[in-house]
Amino acid sequence: MSGSTGKWREEQVLIICPGSQTTLAQMGCNELTPPQHRFPTRMFPDPEEEGQFRPFHTYKRPKTTAGIKGEGGEDDYEWVEDVDSLEGAIYPIQAGHIVHMDAFLAFLEHVHQALTTTYHNTPIMLMASPQWKKGDCEVISRYIFEKTKTPALCLLHSGLATQYGLKWPNMTVVDVGFEKVDVTCVYEGRVVGHNDIGPENMGDTEREESERKQGISGGEFFTRKLMELLKDQGFDHEMAEQLKKSPVCEVLPYAADDKELMELPTEGGSTAGSNGTATSSAAPVEGPKIITTAAGADDDLGLDGEEKVVNEEGVLDVASLVVSGQTREFLAKQEKLKAEKAKAGRKGKGQETDAAAAAKARLPNSKRVKTIFHYEELITEDVPVAAPVVPAPAAPAPAENAAPTDVEMADSNAPSAAPAVDSGAKAGETAAKPEGEQTQSVAGATDPPTAAPAPETAAPPATERISRRVRRDIEVGLERFLFADRKEIDRIVDTIYRTVQDIDEMYMRPGCWENVVFVGNGARIRGLKDNIMQTLQARHLISPSSATMFTSELPSNIGTPSGTGSQTPTGSFTGQLPTSSSVNPLLQAATTAASLGVPGGPQGQVVGADGQMQPSHHFHSQTPTNIKLATLPTYLAEWTKNGFEEAMFLGAQVAARLAFCIHNLDAAGLEAQRSMSFGRVDYNELGPKGIRSHSMLT
Amino acid sequence: MAQPPLSSSVQPTDVYGGDEVSAIVLDPGYIHTRAGFAGEEMPKQVLPSFYGHITSSQRDVFGDQAIYPRADFEIRNYMNRDSAVEDWDTATKIWEYALIDRLGVPRPTPASKNGLNNKPKPAADGDVEMADEADLDETENYEKPMQENPLLMTEPAWNSPKAREKAIEICMENWACPAFWLSKTPVLAAYAAGKATVLVLDVGGANTSVTAVFDGMVLKRSVQRSPVGGVWLSSQLRSLFETSEPKVEVVPRFMVESKKPVEAGQPAEARLKTFDFQISPSFRAFEEEGVLKEFKESVVEVWKGPGRYLAQGNEDYAKNLPGRVFEMPDGSNQMWREQRFKVAEGMWDENAAFPSATEEGKITKAQTVPGLIKAALDAIDVDVRPALLANVVVTGSTSLLPGFNDRLHHELTAMFPSVKVKIHAAGLTSERRFGAWIGGSILGSLGTFHQMWISRKEYEENGAGIVEKRCK
Repeated sequence: MSGSTGKWREEQVLIICPGSQTTLAQMGCNELTPPQHRFPTRMFPDPEEEGQFRPFHTYKRPKTTAGIKGEGGEDDYEWVEDVDSLEGAIYPIQAGHIVHMDAFLAFLEHVHQALTTTYHNTPIMLMASPQWKKGDCEVISRYIFEKTKTPALCLLHSGLATQYGLKWPNMTVVDVGFEKVDVTCVYEGRVVGHNDIGPENMGDTEREESERKQGISGGEFFTRKLMELLKDQGFDHEMAEQLKKSPVCEVLPYAADDKELMELPTEGGSTAGSNGTATSSAAPVEGPKIITTAAGADDDLGLDGEEKVVNEEGVLDVASLVVSGQTREFLAKQEKLKAEKAKAGRKGKGQETDAAAAAKARLPNSKRVKTIFHYEELITEDVPVAAPVVPAPAAPAPAENAAPTDVEMADSNAPSAAPAVDSGAKAGETAAKPEGEQTQSVAGATDPPTAAPAPETAAPPATERISRRVRRDIEVGLERFLFADRKEIDRIVDTIYRTVQDIDEMYMRPGCWENVVFVGNGARIRGLKDNIMQTLQARHLISPSSATMFTSELPSNIGTPSGTGSQTPTGSFTGQLPTSSSVNPLLQAATTAASLGVPGGPQGQVVGADGQMQPSHHFHSQTPTNIKLATLPTYLAEWTKNGFEEAMFLGAQVAARLAFCIHNLDAAGLEAQRSMSFGRVDYNELGPKGIRSHSMLT
Repeated sequence: MAQPPLSSSVQPTDVYGGDEVSAIVLDPGYIHTRAGFAGEEMPKQVLPSFYGHITSSQRDVFGDQAIYPRADFEIRNYMNRDSAVEDWDTATKIWEYALIDRLGVPRPTPASKNGLNNKPKPAADGDVEMADEADLDETENYEKPMQENPLLMTEPAWNSPKAREKAIEICMENWACPAFWLSKTPVLAAYAAGKATVLVLDVGGANTSVTAVFDGMVLKRSVQRSPVGGVWLSSQLRSLFETSEPKVEVVPRFMVESKKPVEAGQPAEARLKTFDFQISPSFRAFEEEGVLKEFKESVVEVWKGPGRYLAQGNEDYAKNLPGRVFEMPDGSNQMWREQRFKVAEGMWDENAAFPSATEEGKITKAQTVPGLIKAALDAIDVDVRPALLANVVVTGSTSLLPGFNDRLHHELTAMFPSVKVKIHAAGLTSERRFGAWIGGSILGSLGTFHQMWISRKEYEENGAGIVEKRCK
């Protein structure tokens, strides 16, 4: 049998990590890179054939032949794919549950076809959410083995995948997803506890959509909260989403003594900050990635002239503007700007040193009441031309013909990619660079959110539907902190606590408390994981002063007095209840216990009646006495850059190597490897149900 | 998993052979309801049998994640203190929630929709032909879940015939299960221990029971039970806290916003949460139980013996043992020394029990663990006693208290000095907690068990009364 479990090369393995929104996929696991491909997890019903699906929205439109409209016959219509449209989209995975199996299978097929060329020699590593039902896994394996020629399939629990990626044997994985949060406790490579929060009725496909979506959690919850708070300012979902991803939006640290449980900035403390909302380049706390090329300064005091000077340098950089982690005091800024003007070389470097000098005067984002949020949106419009309107199927061409206004051409790769803020910022940067000549008229600093006007004259004659990236500056106030709904964070905190504390074997709990890791792109919200950890520590940590560390383990080591009295404790122990006497009773207890002769050794079990009394060592301490974030590996530079929020993908690659590519194992290793994945031979023997024993789901 | 190749002489019982029939094992208890697929080593779903009832909308919510502070929220339990089902309507709902929503027992999909019959099957080499399993009448039972899964349910040894009939009715009428079996928890606990003739001591949440099982059959006269279980122990803890000086107040976890470390014995410095709605007493009690559970896990210990705790000198000795510190959710903490032995002593010695405020909290000598065992053995034939005492199986989560087995051994050897006593207690916490479920999982996955099921047809022919005849 072992001979038939063919070995594959690392570059042959197809790795798919489906998510509710984005599916990460890659061919090959030889490099352990961040995912090379991201597919939006959605399908569209095929309008031509019932029950079939297509990856993009498809619609009929009249054929245009040489500019003459057809006469309306059947032949004059053609099917067009619109990659940007979401019309009729089916999201097969919602909050981790597979709600539309057919679409999901079609989606798998789509991913498979997009990435593989060899059809029969590509084992698949498919990550499974904990919400997947047993039946789901069987249907998937059945489909994969019967509809494709895949030689082997490995289903991998997403919590375990994270564990493989981060290599700690014991950990608690908190996966903050789109609409759900999963908490999985892993102990020595086994899932020992799992809970999730998310929609209560997701699995019940018979209910109404709105009813099923009640009680969502995860990243989407926060977006909706933001939207709700900023409804009066006309925020829609997309705006809220961008705001959430922008650095100005953050979860403030947990402040146990504050009424609001966070320290909100107040008007009095930061008047300057609220006026001079200059954004600056150097953002040391915001992560190393943001390359700072300029400091753009916006304010509402009628300094447009100066602003223009800055902007005409051609260094206006959306990305770094957005990174308004710091600000400068208004006057200091003005001076600095003048100084800058005086400088011959108006390079970013010079500014940076200045910025460092002015660092004192700046206020971090968390101290400012208001700040400017730079919203970018894609406006797709049909530009009037002589010929009939011809909408382009794909995103428009690059931006040579850019309007010389505050409008940027879309970077055509951007819309589907880059869900993460950082990569988004990067894309923005690249988009901005060619636009050296743009003259930004600072319009929107304090204005209500209105789209910056795009001058009519600027539109070049075009024959295409073009998408333009429009930037708006919107002032947001404390909403950007208040969106961190306490109830929701408490829900996550409680779930983590409950999951770890409900692990049956008590000795496993400390290991899980000491390695908490947050994954899932929802965890990228600034400050969220810190706040959760702070809450856990403030609320649940068993303080070391209570001396559980000294005493709790001792009793099981001390034998009951034997007949000879050899074990009878002697010593100066008074046996009083601890009081607030001058001697710390706990310390006393600890020292006394030590004098009792802890090396109870085997005698500790003297009373153990017979061989059946197994437990020689009980762990009975109260937990948690230590709650820590797991240390993330540093040896994978690319992943450090990418962030470990997608560590499950890394883990899936590691697991794929183990399951499919390791040679020369001993017999036990071979056996273990065989049960890691489900090969075609096994499938033929066991049928789809074999996936239960040949997978990494528990 | 190494599976021996199927020999051609054995007709596969399922499409792909083997023991696999996807039976479901459902083990309802007072504290938890456990559900999972037969053949697995642990129940996949362990739900509290307590559930939330929202009084304003008359809605019930199930599962741990639904139980949090809410307005107009009460905690109820569909089981009663006898570990039997009290509220059958809710029982049906909570079981459906456990099995279908949580466990994911597949709702059958008609063949036309399962995505595999859209095109003619490609003649892939080496693939197994799919059997036409969906040939059943698609429409008739479509609304009913679980028509593909036999169900194995557990019941306490003292279950009433009426309750048994009700169970099969729900299974057959509401869920359209193809087959059903009802098994008593002591028998299953015996299977989990791999033995057929045992004396089962089940120290559970609401009950402690002693049952003699002989050759896989419960000896009815031997069944003894008393309320001395986890819940009773909690009430003892409350009495202990009441009588402590100063009084110890149990602040449930949900009320604490944050706490500060304080020295032992000092008043707590915690910031409590405020709620703009009334917290119902039942919810608070449920949450307090959680704290008490933690206390039981980490502090309470059974006096190992020899001799009772109240015997000469033992208490003084216990006072000299190093204590354990327990920190309440609000941060106040205190060292517990001899009290942690004393509080569990009532299980063994009625004189040591804390005085109880309620009538049902008081126990008699016959209700202690030794009393139960004695009564059970007295009720059965002398000849089988040695065989039973050599196979004492301890199960139930309250038996996880440290020292429990040692004490039991002492008590038994003192009671039956001439008989060899051997105690079997699973080492893993989960095996002890889910003993009956695990036994059900073993039983439900045995190939031979297929001949035992009460099939749907039998039920239709004989009615619900068949369960009395078949499930002895």
